[in-house]
This record gives sequence, structure tokens and C-alpha cells, in this order.
Amino acid sequence: MRILLLAFLLGLPLLAQDAKAPTVGIAAEISQLVLPGPELKVKVLEDRHDPMVLRIKAVFPHGDAFRYDLVYYGLEPGKYDLREYLERKDASSTADLPAIPVEVRPILVPGLPVEPRVLQPRAVEGPGGYRALLIGIGVLWALGLIWILASRRRKQAVAAASVERPKSLADHLAPRVEKALAGELPTAGMAELERMLLLFWRRRLGLSDMRAAVAMGVLRQHAEAGPLLEQLELWLHRPGTSGEVDVAALLAPYRETSAESFLREVEEAQAS
Amino acid sequence: MSEVMGSNGQSGAAIEFIGSVRERVATVVVGQDQVVERLLIALFTGGHILLQGVPGIAKTLLAAVLSKSIDLQFARVQFTIDLLPSDILGSEILDQRTNEFTVNKGPIFANLFLADEINRAAPKVQGALLEAMQERKVTIAKETFVLPAPFLVIATQNPIEQAGTFELPEAQLDRFMLCHRLDYPTPDEEREILRRNAKLGVHRKEKGAIANTEFDMISDEPVGSGEQLIQAMESVHRVHVSETFIDHVVELVERTRQHPQLELGCSPRAGIALIKASRARALIHGRDYVVPEDLYALAEDVVLHRIRLNYEALADGVTGAGLLEELLHELGAMPSATRA
Repeated sequence: MRILLLAFLLGLPLLAQDAKAPTVGIAAEISQLVLPGPELKVKVLEDRHDPMVLRIKAVFPHGDAFRYDLVYYGLEPGKYDLREYLERKDASSTADLPAIPVEVRPILVPGLPVEPRVLQPRAVEGPGGYRALLIGIGVLWALGLIWILASRRRKQAVAAASVERPKSLADHLAPRVEKALAGELPTAGMAELERMLLLFWRRRLGLSDMRAAVAMGVLRQHAEAGPLLEQLELWLHRPGTSGEVDVAALLAPYRETSAESFLREVEEAQAS
Repeated sequence: MSEVMGSNGQSGAAIEFIGSVRERVATVVVGQDQVVERLLIALFTGGHILLQGVPGIAKTLLAAVLSKSIDLQFARVQFTIDLLPSDILGSEILDQRTNEFTVNKGPIFANLFLADEINRAAPKVQGALLEAMQERKVTIAKETFVLPAPFLVIATQNPIEQAGTFELPEAQLDRFMLCHRLDYPTPDEEREILRRNAKLGVHRKEKGAIANTEFDMISDEPVGSGEQLIQAMESVHRVHVSETFIDHVVELVERTRQHPQLELGCSPRAGIALIKASRARALIHGRDYVVPEDLYALAEDVVLHRIRLNYEALADGVTGAGLLEELLHELGAMPSATRA
């Protein structure tokens, strides 16, 4: 019984130490560690495969020595001496430093035939991947948009260049008058000509807002329009009188009316 | 213009006849020259006329004086909701003395039939009348009777009071060659109406006295005979219609069919009516040929009741009259889509 108790008491510190020892990759801290000599700093890590990483968290003066809070973590299980990772700030020797032993415990069960995969460094890849794809699509979309806008603008410019002044009534009237004088206007063309002439006079005399039936009466009474329209009626509607009508004289006033002068007259009539 | 007709004796006589009738009408009815003209157009062409106007603007008086001026039989029926087709057409009744059915002809057997407020009768009565108007014959029981010639229906419609009325559908409106909208008389005409009315006086009857009305002023002596009317109708058919005028009519009718704001454009019957009415108007105005003025003057009466605006146009506040005016105004603007 005594032997068992002694064994338990002797093994307790070991168990406690094992329990405090950090595992791989887990940071551990040593607080208020007094180390003799000038101030220490952590050596620059030159070997990127070094399994121990140490950091001095805080430094406090402690008489002619210094008191340190150290933080470390190991990347490989095993026992380490943190003294090897320290150097003096004034570059003096660290031979007088005591050993600072620490242990890093493995996470895996000892003897397990599984090794963590060693990371293989890869060369930095060139442009590509999802981001590059997105950028490419964006550039293409922008180019397409620019092309569409540019082509539309080009079309508009072409259309604007090709659009002529809208044909006025006088423009439509002129060729029909010429054909009528040459006797080449068919019946349908004659009818169009007569309707145009009626509209011509209504616009010219500013009767556009008047009821069509009333405007016809006004046109008949008009000194200039009345006789011309009466002659037109005789020519186009009264049987057996086409030979009596001087078509050239009848249509002469309309031949002399250009589109511009007609529009000007209409504007004047509307203004008055 | 009278010299235009001078070459043709029958047409000259027709002009005189028209003048006499108009003078006679003017002795009783003040103003309303346009309505008289439209009535004569309908009478000469064998068409029928629908008069739209508020009550009290001499619609019945006009029909009465016109019938008496030309020695025509005149009948008037006030259309009501309870009117039956037999009340107009006639019916078969049992003669108790002979124990046989005899036909009792209705008021439609007249030369001039005035259907007052036609839209107040039920659709079956309207249908019966309009069928008789179209076919000019009536079937009572199993026997068919031809209506007298000339036969003209003058129907009236009050555009204001629409409650309790049956609106005539477009197909039936199309049977009316003309639909004329009557206006109130001008202030001068109104003064003359009042002056004449003030002079009407009273007449004694039995032991009492009755105030005279304008109807009492209508002379029973006709100024024209049925034969003269027939001659005038024949003269109308001699009025020349140029190909150019036909093209104008086709153009107008076509434009009503193609207009985006119209649900229903003109039927071919509208074009026929335009030509017929224009011929009659030309004769009344002393011409033996039609001119565009006839078309412009008659377009509203012939076309307006035959077109129907679509919902979009109605929602936009467009009116049929406004749209027709626009069509007439722009008739010469550009060739229609049917032309190259």
C-alpha cells in the first residue's frame, strides 16, 4: 500500500507536466520567467522548416536581469530548448542562460502508421481561374456594349444624313400637276390632284380649323380660289366640258408655287 | 347654275317642283333649310332618314307639311315600350259577321311614315320596321303586301334622354341612308317663330274654341303631284357622277376602315348612299353633275352614324364628329395606303 502511494506521489508531477504540455500547433505560454543578463530577443527564423516558433510577449526589468512572458508553439512533437531560439539584443553571448525545456505533445496516437501530408510548395500560378474568367467575361460584355452603342450611333448618323425634309403638300402636288398637263394622269391621280388642291386652298386661306362643309362654301366665295375650283369642277366632273377648260391656265398657279413659298404662306395664314 | 339644267326639260321641271315644295314648307316651318334639303334627298333617292334632335324643333311638323305639299299619305306613330309590331304593320282580325279573317293594314302603309322616338320601342318593333324599310313589303299572317311607292320613313331620336330606350344597333342604323342632327333655330329664326305663333289665333269648334297650332296652318292643297315627285326621282338618276367623284367616295370610305381609332368603318352601303345623296343634292342645287362639295356637305349625315370609335379613342375623348372632320380635312393630305 505504501509502495503504491509513493509511486502515485512520484508520478503526479510527470502527469501534471504531460497535461500542461501543449500539443502540435497549439500555443503555450511561459509567464514571468526571469532570465539573467541583458535583454533578449527572438532569433530571426531563417529555416522555414524549423518546428518551433517563439515570440516574446512582454519584457519587464527584474533587477539586473529581465522577466519575460514567452509564447511558443511547436509544429512537430518533441522536446525543445527555447534558449536556442533567443539571442541578446546587444549581441553578447547567451552561454550563461539556463536551459528552457519545453515539450510538444503529438495529437496522434503514438505508433499510428499515418503521417500528415507534407505540404508541397507550388509555384505561383499565372492569371486564370474563376476570377480571370469573370474579368474576361466583363471585358467582353463591355466591348459588346461599346460595339452596340457605336453601331447604333453610326446608324443614327447614317439615317440622319439620309432623311430628307418631309415632303410637303406642294411637293406631292407638283408632279401631279405636270402629269395632268401632259394628259398622263389616270382617273385616280386626277381625284388625288383635286383633293390636294382643295386642301391646298384650305391651308393657304387658313381654313384648316373650319368644318370641311363650311370651308367649301368659303372657298367658292373666295376671289382667287373660287373661279379656279369652279373650273376644276367643270374639268373633272361636268360631262362634255373637258375640252372647254384651259387646263394649262387652270393649273398654272400651282406650278409656280414652290414647297417653300407654300409653307411660308400657310404659316402666314395660321399666324393671321 | 340653272342654265346647267336648262338643256333638259324634265330636270328643269324637277327644279321648279323642288322650289315650290321648299316654299310651301317655308310658309309653316321657319328655317331648317338643311333638314328640308335632307328630307328631299331621302324622298328622291328612296332612302330613309333618322332625325336626331331635342323635342320641339318641328320634326313632326316638317314631315307633315312635306307630305301635304306633295300629296302624299302621311302617318305618324309615337314609339313606346309597349308598342307591338302589329301596331305598325297591321294584323289579321276575325270578322264576326262573315266568320272570316280580314287583314287590317297598319299605319306603315303610307308614303311618309314618321316613327317618333324610334329608340323607345322594343328591339322587335324596331326590327320589324327596319325590315319593312329594307324590303318595302310587309307580311301579315300568310299574305305579303307591298308598301306604297314612294315610301319614306322619317324616324326621330332624342339624343338627351337615354333612360328606358333601346339604342339602335349599327346594323340597323346602316339602313337609314341619312342621319341628320338638328340644331336649335338661330335667334333670328326664333324671333320669326314667335311672331308667327303669336298670330295663330283660335278657331271655334262646336261650343268652344281651340287655339290654332302650326299644323292648322298647313294648306291641304298640294303644290306638287306624285307624278312630279317621280320625275324628280328620275332626274336624280340622270345626274352625272364622274369617276373622279367615285374615287373621292372610295377614298373616304377606305380611310374610315383603316383609321386606327375606328372599330367599325363604313360599309359599301355607305358609299352607295353617298353617291345617291350627292346626286339628289346636286339636283336640288340645280346641277346635273356632282361635285366634291356634295360629298363634304353630306359626309356627316351619311357616314357618322355608320362608324364606331374604339375604346382607346373613347377613353381619349375623341368624338365621331371630330374624327370625321379630321378625315375630311386630311382627305387630300396624302394618298391612302391603297394607292402606290
